[in-house]
Amino acid sequence: MPANANKASADRELVITRVYDAPARLLFQAWSKPEHLLKWFGPVGWPVTLCEVDFRKGGRWRMAMTGPGGQQNTPFGGEYLEIVPDQKIVFDNAFEDNPPKKMIMTITFEERDGRTTLTWHTLFMSPAMKDEYVGMGIEPGANSGLDQLTDVVAALKAAA
Amino acid sequence: MIPAATPPLDLVFAALADPTRRAILARLAAGEATVNELVTPTALSQPTVSKHLKVLERAGLVSRGREAQFRPVRLNAAPLAEADRWLGDYRRFFTESLDRLDTYVKELKRKEGRHASKRK
Repeated sequence: MPANANKASADRELVITRVYDAPARLLFQAWSKPEHLLKWFGPVGWPVTLCEVDFRKGGRWRMAMTGPGGQQNTPFGGEYLEIVPDQKIVFDNAFEDNPPKKMIMTITFEERDGRTTLTWHTLFMSPAMKDEYVGMGIEPGANSGLDQLTDVVAALKAAA
Repeated sequence: MIPAATPPLDLVFAALADPTRRAILARLAAGEATVNELVTPTALSQPTVSKHLKVLERAGLVSRGREAQFRPVRLNAAPLAEADRWLGDYRRFFTESLDRLDTYVKELKRKEGRHASKRK
């Protein structure tokens, strides 16, 4: 958690954790080099096709993905704000066509008995921005709001 | 990361963040209806339904006929489909990236193990 994470910012945070059967050092590597990032960053069907990384505090990073349509999407990127080897990477991130809409992402790696808990913490600039990106303030995965939305869309498609 | 939403999408999300408005949309998916026909199943007052319809209209999700007395309300599917696609992609961004990282880090681990045993 970054130092500025407190109760007041909970409505503009998104925290996702995952446990990996690998040492923190390897996960840190996977996050820090383009050759690795190219292999896993982004959802399935959206390969990273631009990846420039100056991995040091104050260094900049820049990426873009290409969607199923074959066209490269708007590049996004930012600056590395803090790097603690094998433990923590903090960077900001914004789309190049909308630089004021920034998010600060903090990735932490906590290793225990060869397994590592990765925490992906995103701090949005406002609750409204979080809602816009994550959707009605609901976390990814199981949630009734989005399921309802999906149902409505399915009904629409059927009616069309 | 999927590009930031355009302003109309903000309105779409705001309009969808309400169960009554989603119910109205679900009803309209079955066909156009007058305001009165929408009042009955929602058990709300006519002015309340009208208020919700204004929000949906601003978001481009419904359009209303010109005929003053009946003014049938029609569903406009395009912004909704776009909102769904956008949300779906953004949700996928986190979960699928982390899934793929799992696969990849296993590969790194295996490679490292091979190098280590070669060195012995």
